[in-house]
Amino acid sequence: MKNLVIRNLSKTYFDVYAGTQVTAVRDVSLNVPESEFISIVGPSGCGKSTILNMIAGFIPHSSGEILVGGKPVNGPGPDRGVVFQSFALFPWRTVLENVAFGPKMRGVGRVEREKIAHEFLTLAKLSDAAARYPNELSGGMQQRVGVVRALANEPDVLLMDEPFASVDAQTRMTLQEELTRIWEAKRPTVIFITHDVAEAVFLSNRVVALSKGKVLEEIEVDLPRPRVWDDLNENERFKALTARVLQLVRSA
Amino acid sequence: MNTFLLKIWSGYVRLTARWPSIGSIAPFIPLIVAWWIVTELQIFPRVFLPGPVEVVRSFGSLVYTGVLPEYLQDSIVRLAVGAFWGIALGIPLGILIGLSKRAHTALYPPLLFFQAIGDIAWLPILVIWFGYGLTTMTVIIVYTVIFPVVLNTVLGVRSTSITLHRAALSLGASRARLLWEVVLPGALPNIITGLRNGLGYGWRALIATEIIVGTSGIGFLMFDARRGGSLVEVLLGMIILGILWYIVDAWILAPLERATGQRWGLVTR
Repeated sequence: MKNLVIRNLSKTYFDVYAGTQVTAVRDVSLNVPESEFISIVGPSGCGKSTILNMIAGFIPHSSGEILVGGKPVNGPGPDRGVVFQSFALFPWRTVLENVAFGPKMRGVGRVEREKIAHEFLTLAKLSDAAARYPNELSGGMQQRVGVVRALANEPDVLLMDEPFASVDAQTRMTLQEELTRIWEAKRPTVIFITHDVAEAVFLSNRVVALSKGKVLEEIEVDLPRPRVWDDLNENERFKALTARVLQLVRSA
Repeated sequence: MNTFLLKIWSGYVRLTARWPSIGSIAPFIPLIVAWWIVTELQIFPRVFLPGPVEVVRSFGSLVYTGVLPEYLQDSIVRLAVGAFWGIALGIPLGILIGLSKRAHTALYPPLLFFQAIGDIAWLPILVIWFGYGLTTMTVIIVYTVIFPVVLNTVLGVRSTSITLHRAALSLGASRARLLWEVVLPGALPNIITGLRNGLGYGWRALIATEIIVGTSGIGFLMFDARRGGSLVEVLLGMIILGILWYIVDAWILAPLERATGQRWGLVTR
């Protein structure tokens, strides 16, 4: 695991239909130490996914710097694992093969990579689904696979783009609790994108409120771990933090 | 009465579930019976419409003399050779056009132009270039097979979600690996559709070509029989065409579809 530094990051592009220059991300600077879990929260169109896509190397940035462990980002790479909102599992690969995909690309032999995949599937309580195809699983199970597939490749940073936005509310809470559990076990550096303020506070060490492509404020979340919803729902500190972030995001 | 029919139907459904081959033969039985009745009643003169018995007898004698097996083999080999080259050229071309905007801009318009000319329209010029032989037929079949394969491959490549490309790249896949791990399997259901269309058109083009330039094959058999006034053999040829396509579909295409797109949930059953 490594740290992530973003300096004066901007993204502008030319909107062909409007005929104007659009600024999606404006002068964003972030410092994410090793093994920290940070969330970037904001409404649709605030530029949060654009930031993640630039860190992942899927789209080029217009100006500024992105450094992972001191190394500048240049295109997608296995040092930055990504969990997608649409899961993005390979439909033609079994669950086991999906999780073993990263190690396979690294040239890890079959026996070894399947051992790694089984280990991570056990971590996500998915051992029974190993031989099944993604389309045979529920949305919640598919995203569990998505998370461990990224983790099994041992990335320096884990990038999560609204990963739980397309599962039902009950499943989402379970997945959030599982994610904190896995994070405590493996301590990856995580950048988590979401529009759900409570989710951001629940998961993170630090929440970055974003609006119109600009960072409004960074809020430290000093809640004890392990975190479970049954405790936090009644927790005054949690309520206060959530209200504070919500107020920030809505005011802008 | 109604429950009685339903019972028969449910018995039939259970029977075909146990022995699928019965399900593929049974629907033809009423057809054959109707044909047999029509010919037995002599509604049309026998010379114009021979019955099933005569056709089976002519099948026996053509197999016995070795003409039919030889012709059948000729037709199938021609289709296989043509289809092989059509697929071998069509899939890479389709992937290229599907992935590269430049290739699409440069190659798509001529592709549509040549698709419109049609296989048989090439025959006069091909006969002059290559004569009456395997080369002409192969070119015709490749020509026929390649368009559906290319166009469907392009569609398949383009319909694969960009997030799958991104997922593979961020898991460490190289561009070359991406082709094999994501682009090709993602396009496979469409490629098989292209194959199905291509082989169907190719099979028809082959018969037409054999009728015009052939010296052997099922198409030639039918045309030769017509010259000799033997409608029995013409009918036999037609039935063989149907059966052969049925076999290609049931033994090659349908299992391929079940093992890929349907298994992966990319197409609905």
